[in-house]
Amino acid sequence: MRSKRWLLAAGTGLAFLGGCQSPPKPEEMARTSLQTAPADLQLICANAAAGTAQVDSSKVLPTSSRQLDAASYSVDLDAGGRKFNCIVDSNGSVKSVQPIA
Amino acid sequence: MTRARRLGLVMLAAGLCLGPLAALAQTQIYDARTKKWVNYDKKKARQYYARNNQLPEAFRRQVVTFRTAEKPGTIIIDGNQHFLYLVQPGGQAIRYGIGVGREGFGWAGIVRVGRTAEWPTWTPPPEMVARDPNAAKWAAGMPGGPDNPLGARALYLYEGDADTIYRIHGTVEPWTIGLDVSSGCIRMNNDDVTDLHSRVEVGAKVIVLMQGAALYKGV
Repeated sequence: MRSKRWLLAAGTGLAFLGGCQSPPKPEEMARTSLQTAPADLQLICANAAAGTAQVDSSKVLPTSSRQLDAASYSVDLDAGGRKFNCIVDSNGSVKSVQPIA
Repeated sequence: MTRARRLGLVMLAAGLCLGPLAALAQTQIYDARTKKWVNYDKKKARQYYARNNQLPEAFRRQVVTFRTAEKPGTIIIDGNQHFLYLVQPGGQAIRYGIGVGREGFGWAGIVRVGRTAEWPTWTPPPEMVARDPNAAKWAAGMPGGPDNPLGARALYLYEGDADTIYRIHGTVEPWTIGLDVSSGCIRMNNDDVTDLHSRVEVGAKVIVLMQGAALYKGV
């Protein structure tokens, strides 16, 4: 009986939390299972990597990306054949650009 | 370029852009009624479009914040998330929903708009002509019009001076926007591709982002 009450309380709590979760904005009501970085953040990283690699930015292309936590992303880049990794936050501030060995 | 070579390129491009639809859709849309994310595949997309006569809101044309050093007029394609951005002044972009290449047909790169066309002609590739009597009657080219699979406008993507055989074009299947459906071309609904065409200049830079791309162009 006691465990049933506990389950009921837990279920009610979860339902309450679910109900309190705010829905995404209309323009954000689509996604794919691939949690890539927003396109503008990928390009901010490409620009930063061009400076680090000292190559023309038209030769730097993001090749993959992923969300690290609620406020930052990791972006892998190809800069004229050399590989780099960039960490950028959701405000567009580049935290690091490192060559990948 | 010889006439035969140009015809060959046109046929190859038509085959690439309009290949069989075998999408492995990973797209999800948020159902405001059930407050849940639900898979959005070809069947659901068609049902949604039939019910609402428009796409889900996220895939409709809209102005969004877009922080970039790229100059206004640049096109950025996010193939994974099914969006095309046209960079505007003031840290903004016009965002359009797109359909992209299905698994194994995605590509990425930095290219440019080499030329554009209004109501482009579509020429089915020889293998489609051989198996499909409807396509066979257009073996010499289907004139542009509302039934033409390339839709209302086409932007031909070039790598330097060479045609990549990939295009940004309209569609007669607007419900496929938001899905991985093509053989590499970028499809938009006809209103959107007409709007984009009216704003873009020949020579505009086009950056195509696609994680898991099978092919790279221009880098």
